[in-house]
Amino acid sequence: MAYGKREVLTGVDLRISAGETVALLGPNGAGKTTTIEIMQGFRRRSAGDVTVLGTDPEKGDETWRGRLGTVLQSWRDHPRWEVGTLLSQIAAHYPSPWDSDELLAALGLTAQAKVKIGMLSGGQRRRLDVALGIVGRPELLFLDEPTTGFDPEARREFHELIRGLDTTILLTTHDLAEAERLADRIAVLIDGRIAVYGTPEELARAVQAPSVVSWQDGSTETHDPSQLAWELHQKYGGPVPALEIRRPTLEESYLSLIERSVA
Amino acid sequence: MSGIMRLGPRRGIAEFGTMVRDRKELYNSILGSAGIYALLAVWLRDRKVAGTDVDLSTYMMAGMMALVVFQIGLMNLPMMIAADREEGALLRLRTVPGGIGSFLIGRAVSITLAATLQIALILAIGLAVGGASLPASPGHWLTLAWVLPLGMLAVVPLGAALGALLPNPRTAGAVLGLPVMGLLIISGAMFPVTAMPEAVRWVAQAFPLYWQGHGIRAALLSDSTLAAEIGGTWRLAESAGILALWLVAGMVLAPRLLRRATRGAAGTRSPVGS
Repeated sequence: MAYGKREVLTGVDLRISAGETVALLGPNGAGKTTTIEIMQGFRRRSAGDVTVLGTDPEKGDETWRGRLGTVLQSWRDHPRWEVGTLLSQIAAHYPSPWDSDELLAALGLTAQAKVKIGMLSGGQRRRLDVALGIVGRPELLFLDEPTTGFDPEARREFHELIRGLDTTILLTTHDLAEAERLADRIAVLIDGRIAVYGTPEELARAVQAPSVVSWQDGSTETHDPSQLAWELHQKYGGPVPALEIRRPTLEESYLSLIERSVA
Repeated sequence: MSGIMRLGPRRGIAEFGTMVRDRKELYNSILGSAGIYALLAVWLRDRKVAGTDVDLSTYMMAGMMALVVFQIGLMNLPMMIAADREEGALLRLRTVPGGIGSFLIGRAVSITLAATLQIALILAIGLAVGGASLPASPGHWLTLAWVLPLGMLAVVPLGAALGALLPNPRTAGAVLGLPVMGLLIISGAMFPVTAMPEAVRWVAQAFPLYWQGHGIRAALLSDSTLAAEIGGTWRLAESAGILALWLVAGMVLAPRLLRRATRGAAGTRSPVGS
């Protein structure tokens, strides 16, 4: 995928199985939204093969589109519509949608059914966005940076909501903790390439940054702290004074991966 | 396709409902035009159109009706579409099967309902206090029946394209407000265009507002107003021709403008957010 001469996506090789939740994790500008737009058929790719629910998105018809769901980045649309009216209006476009009253109840919005959308709180608005995204019972749900601008409370609520959904999900985020919490597998997208793709554990192993080992007379970085500790014990012939081994958190590993890739 | 033909009108009716229930929208755009006309009609009571025995308030009723159609098409519609785009309604509907089709039909239905309501109110006020009467014959009714929708069709495609081109409703209002005001003054909506200098008359006759008003006057006013019309005669063929010309021009131009506006446009990303 290229914008003019600038190649944006150069190596995105991604396979998502039914029922999985996959996070596309990467810093801003890595190509996350572009990847989703290509999968939705809103952007033409300059090269490569894409198949979404068995169809090339560029040839996808409205029936195909009806099997997808999208929760957009934060919007302010339809401010004058009532919650229930908009939800049932959108629902009517799908062949077998959820009952909008049931869906509102499931998302805790029953009391807001007759409220104008512009009057909702941020968290209620977000739950409505999710309702609008899943009302058509999508087989594949796209969440594009769903928690940007959330406070921690709203973020936790949103995560619980998403984990309760029974569908295949592709979400983009630049928040590692969010990816870890929601996704079965994480694809790290850096500079238009998927650097790593796997479960959070596999990711941790693959991107493991060196541990820091420090003791009274020195400090060093190593990928095998256990080996070094053993050597130090032999050198000192007993306990090593002020020995400290610090393994990097997954977040530190991820950040160092980004630094390495960008450099 | 049949789905959209059912969903579009349903969306339009719901949308019209949101307009009527929104107090600001109701006063500003829907009742506003009728209110202004009511004030003018009472204020100008007993004033005659120069050179005729027709009440100015009756003459203005036709002008206000034309203005409603013109303003909805070239001012309200572009502002609504610019707002829909800015707020993200269009991007949301793009992710929904048949969403854009039902959006377009919905908008057409909702502005038609809004125009119909305003025109009916203005007519009612004209009958009550403006000294107006209903069309005199089936022929006059027929004229009204084609000139109103044709006048609407003449401005809607262009208005939709303008809405897609202008970045947000504020800019749309600022850019379109002045020309609409100018045309309102020179197009014979409020007082006969025959009072204008020759050159201004020619400008007025290039725009649909003049011809829309002329057609409505032909349907609603008696021939005694003819002294105040250019050439002293009803020119309905010209009305139909020039409105149709605007319709065709709009249909040709609008898709090009829309394509230009959407070329390389963003997908799910918010223009205001990250």
